[in-house]
Amino acid sequence: MSSIYVLIPLAILLVSIAIGVFFWAVKSNQFEDLERHGSSILFDDDLPKKPSKPQPTTNKSDE
Amino acid sequence: MADAIVKNGLEDYYHYRSEFAEKASENEADLLQKLKVFDDDSILQEFVESQDDASEIQLTISGINCAACGWLIEKQLAKLNGIMRVGVNVSARRASVTWNSEQLKLSQILSHIEKIGFHAKPFQPEQHEATFRQENKAFLKRLGLAGLMTMQVMMLNIGTFFDLFGHIDAETKQYFNWISLLLTTPVILYSASEFYTSAIRGLRAGTFNMDVPIVLALGITYISGVFATAQNTGQTYFESLCMFVFLLLVSRYLEHSARYKAFQESANMLEYLPTTATLIEGETLTPVLAKSLKVKQLVLVKAGELVPVDGIIIQGQGQLDQAMLTGEFDLISKFTGDQVLAGSLNQLGTLTVKVTASLQHSTLNQISKLQTQAMGTKPRIASLADQFSQYFVVVVLVIACVSYVVWQQIDPSEALWVMVAVLIATCPCALGLATPSALSCAIANLNSKGVLLKRGDALEQIAFVDWIGLDKTGTFTEGQFVLTQCINLGQQPDIHYLEIAASIERYSSHPIAKAFRDYESPHTVTEFQSEMGKGVSGIIAGVAYKLGAASFMDMSIPENMSACNVFLQSDSDLLCGFLLTDKLRPQGVTLINDLKAYDINLISGDIAPIVKSVAEQLGINNWLAEQSPEDKLNTIKAAQANKHVVLMVGDGINDGPVLAQADVSITLGAGSDLAKSSADIVLLDNDLAKIQMIFRIAARCKSKIKQNIGWAIGYNLLILPLAVMGLLSPWMAVLGMSVSSLIVVVNSTRLLK
Repeated sequence: MSSIYVLIPLAILLVSIAIGVFFWAVKSNQFEDLERHGSSILFDDDLPKKPSKPQPTTNKSDE
Repeated sequence: MADAIVKNGLEDYYHYRSEFAEKASENEADLLQKLKVFDDDSILQEFVESQDDASEIQLTISGINCAACGWLIEKQLAKLNGIMRVGVNVSARRASVTWNSEQLKLSQILSHIEKIGFHAKPFQPEQHEATFRQENKAFLKRLGLAGLMTMQVMMLNIGTFFDLFGHIDAETKQYFNWISLLLTTPVILYSASEFYTSAIRGLRAGTFNMDVPIVLALGITYISGVFATAQNTGQTYFESLCMFVFLLLVSRYLEHSARYKAFQESANMLEYLPTTATLIEGETLTPVLAKSLKVKQLVLVKAGELVPVDGIIIQGQGQLDQAMLTGEFDLISKFTGDQVLAGSLNQLGTLTVKVTASLQHSTLNQISKLQTQAMGTKPRIASLADQFSQYFVVVVLVIACVSYVVWQQIDPSEALWVMVAVLIATCPCALGLATPSALSCAIANLNSKGVLLKRGDALEQIAFVDWIGLDKTGTFTEGQFVLTQCINLGQQPDIHYLEIAASIERYSSHPIAKAFRDYESPHTVTEFQSEMGKGVSGIIAGVAYKLGAASFMDMSIPENMSACNVFLQSDSDLLCGFLLTDKLRPQGVTLINDLKAYDINLISGDIAPIVKSVAEQLGINNWLAEQSPEDKLNTIKAAQANKHVVLMVGDGINDGPVLAQADVSITLGAGSDLAKSSADIVLLDNDLAKIQMIFRIAARCKSKIKQNIGWAIGYNLLILPLAVMGLLSPWMAVLGMSVSSLIVVVNSTRLLK
């Protein structure tokens, strides 16, 4: 059982780091817009466009 | 606009957008001229924070409906030379842009955003909103801390609760207690600090609010836990403490963030205040931001312009429409020396106005402040629940004390814990959560479907609506004229006259001209002339034709043509009468069918035959034609006097006061700014069919609130005797309270679907 005397303080240390990180995240506005970044993974800016793939263009011509 | 999107390789937008966007406005030259004002130094000074070459500005952007819009704006701006950083906040509909002021002008950035169909305006967050934001962040921190600590303390104690790991010796238990105490202390001191201040504030004001028993329960449990740990005797309930604080904070945070969101929305509306003014300095006229005007400066107000600030006329006279401020539509004549108010519309004459109050202090700004306050108003049912919980708290405190005294006689060792159990188990937080959780879920649901709610209690009121007023032009019709009837007096077939009309109208840019676009225009027109507000004329094959309103014709109009609104004449004869009607929005008929159960009234400023035909097409029995804005207002007041709850749907400038008078009002995203600022609900994508959906969600929201309140009260009444009889230990009480709150929240989240 003596291992808990080491492990539990260690766990507390990790939790304090987690709290520190969380506070920093709040401070740097990372929770300001939760809607947006949920779908930002869908926009692959870094991938080159595949020109061969035809895209339906009908109903967007006037928008 | 699609060009601008596709050319920049942003087709992805079309894959991921979840809502259709607004159309881009057409005239680019006008736009640039309008936006030029934002390049002025005084304006830049006010809105822009500069550091070396880098300037940063906050913009409110209308037209953002989904995450794809945010991405589109960021990418579109990133293509401009000189842009350093763009961040779009979709939920707040705002963006912050950092750019190099040497390479790029603000007006270019704004016009670039306009090009893809969004409207951006510089914006300065108010002090009030900054506090709101600070509070929101503080809430998040407290919540996060409490959550993480609860996990730790729970982990340590769950083993000792149920003897999961066989026998745990006393020494280890004591060690666990000390660790739990260490972890619980920041929760009590930091996370729960809000409850203390709120309870003290309540007591100072002489009321027992919900936080009083919470603070008592927290204090007693924590202090006795400290003693028990220090003396190594008795029971501790640190895990219950942490969980209690965490769950309470979750509910408070949900309510606060819903209010924060609503506040942001209303702050965005401030962009609709008059923004530019023409400043007179000696002989030169410069466009400036109305906000930057100072007392004693002179501004020029031309006919058709809004008066930008409160002031006194020092030269000229005019006829002013103050409907926006007073709801009165009679034009008021103002002369030199008279006072004019910001937001009134100058219909006639040119005025030179001396500024008497800067915009922050103007009457219009006061009104919009009132609007902000109205946003903060709680629904009636929520304030009822608050009142009830106040009495409930007093009763709980009395019962807790009585049970303590009684248990001192029965079993002194248990007395304290029975009292704590009573305080926790009966905490009316499920009751406090009942209304806000249901409302915020319903509002979130509507938001995700493109419906913007500006007032929380509009949802509650809409459930009582039994009288609906509908505006015709722009609401049920699209503002595009189509030819529906042609009465022919001449010798030739209809098509001949239509072709003549089409040939002449080809040169006109009036909306009416579009109605003739579908016909061939084979004739050459010479000496084309257009008279404002009357009609057009031209010569085809030596014959002079005139096309226009009845007053434009040289002869009187026969009886059988009274329904027509456009006429065609040759040199000497009246040839044709055309009836042009506005194209109906396709969802109109469906909507009317869905709302059959209500008292529907079509109210329009148009002439009777047109209104009648629209009413017939839509299947509406009650219609009123040739209504001035004032008549409309009276119609609604009369309905309200007859104990009807009125819903008004409208979109025009003239609908502003009517929308404000109605109990609930809906406007379209394409509507006028004034309509948008006075309506409770805005349909962002102009889909009328969504009105039916709003009714449905409002009804569901109402029944959810009733269920929630019923459950919360029922649970508290049920658990009270158990707690008093000592059958509950504090951890069971916390669990019961949490499960009760959880049921309320889960029940509310069903509104999201």
